[in-house]
Amino acid sequence: MSLQRFIEDFEEAVEDIEPNSLTAATNFKALEAWDSLAVLTVIAMVDAEYDLRLKADILKDCDTLEALYARVTG
Amino acid sequence: MPSLEKCIDDEVDLFGGNEKQIARLKKTIGLDRRRVVEPGTTAADLCETAARRLMVAMDLQPTHIDTVICVTQTPDYSQPCNAAVLHGRLDLPKSCAALDVNLGCSGYVYGLWLAHMMVSAGGCERVLLLAGDTISQIVNPKDRALAPLFGDGGSATLVQRSEVEAQAWFSLQTDGKGFDRLIVPAGGQRAPSSRETQAEVVDDAGNVRSAENLFMDGAEIFNFSIVEEPKAVRDLVDYAEVELDAVDYFVFHQANRYILSNIAKRLKIDPSKVPMQTVERYGNQSSASIPSALCGELGEQLCSPGTRRVLLSGFGVGLSWASVLLDLSQLSVCEIVDCTTSD
Repeated sequence: MSLQRFIEDFEEAVEDIEPNSLTAATNFKALEAWDSLAVLTVIAMVDAEYDLRLKADILKDCDTLEALYARVTG
Repeated sequence: MPSLEKCIDDEVDLFGGNEKQIARLKKTIGLDRRRVVEPGTTAADLCETAARRLMVAMDLQPTHIDTVICVTQTPDYSQPCNAAVLHGRLDLPKSCAALDVNLGCSGYVYGLWLAHMMVSAGGCERVLLLAGDTISQIVNPKDRALAPLFGDGGSATLVQRSEVEAQAWFSLQTDGKGFDRLIVPAGGQRAPSSRETQAEVVDDAGNVRSAENLFMDGAEIFNFSIVEEPKAVRDLVDYAEVELDAVDYFVFHQANRYILSNIAKRLKIDPSKVPMQTVERYGNQSSASIPSALCGELGEQLCSPGTRRVLLSGFGVGLSWASVLLDLSQLSVCEIVDCTTSD
């Protein structure tokens, strides 16, 4: 489990995101592809890959992928 | 079904011209077409049409019905209940009990549970279960998170005493602490209708709704669905001492294809045993979605000879979820009919 792997999982989970296009500092909520559907697909990814029930509040609190990764693995 | 069909492709303006977003919703969630009522047509009208079709198919007279149960969150009136209104419209006898169940997506299974208990306890010979909703009418048309999701529908099911012995296992659960995750916040006694509650507000995501429109916390409802549903299904088959593989069909509330495929994945069940195309044909029809899948996607299979072990499971507003494991043999299933009533 690593931040790089998490970023790759995120890129795969969200439709219309190119592989290797995101970084730890990416503000994921500013992405054009970030919508209510992306929220669901990221929740499903975190549940399947990290065995964690990702609450909506956590997504609201975080802006960067690094911050989200810290909450998922914290 | 209402006869009016809407298609998400025709609603590009709702998404600010973002065709990519529509394509994502179609591909992943499975949204496409949905049936919605014209203003003036209600869930009671849809259920009446279904009931009349069922009564013809089963050669059923009004005097044969001992109880009518209506499951709906969108009744004609706050008082009296839809069951009383339909009791009159269907010319049911005065000896017939009539009551509503105020539940949504879990409501069909709750209705079956009540009907099953009434018949198995010996108090009733025949219970008419009417489940239907017009959620499209309480969703703000400018709420792009919900408007493309919901369709309308009404259903009628007859539960009657039979000489065939068949067991049924039910599981009914609630998490009332989540009551505000899926809610129409105003218009009842807690927050009566006012100019303020009718005022439209734009949320952070740009969706428009008033406090008298349906609100759904999509992330929390999704979490709830993929955690509680697989657990409820596993617990029920364990209780019934049935192997998961021995179930022929898993008919979940047709919320959307993404939720259903996630539930199926977590249960490690064969996706071909899980009908999940109803929502792309008709939309999420709340309490009518399970009977819609039974009559549509599974109608032919259920009418053919042989016994099938079927698990029905609904989940939603409450929060509430309910499952039943049934052995069904040669069930009489009517076709889906259009309702054109508007009065």
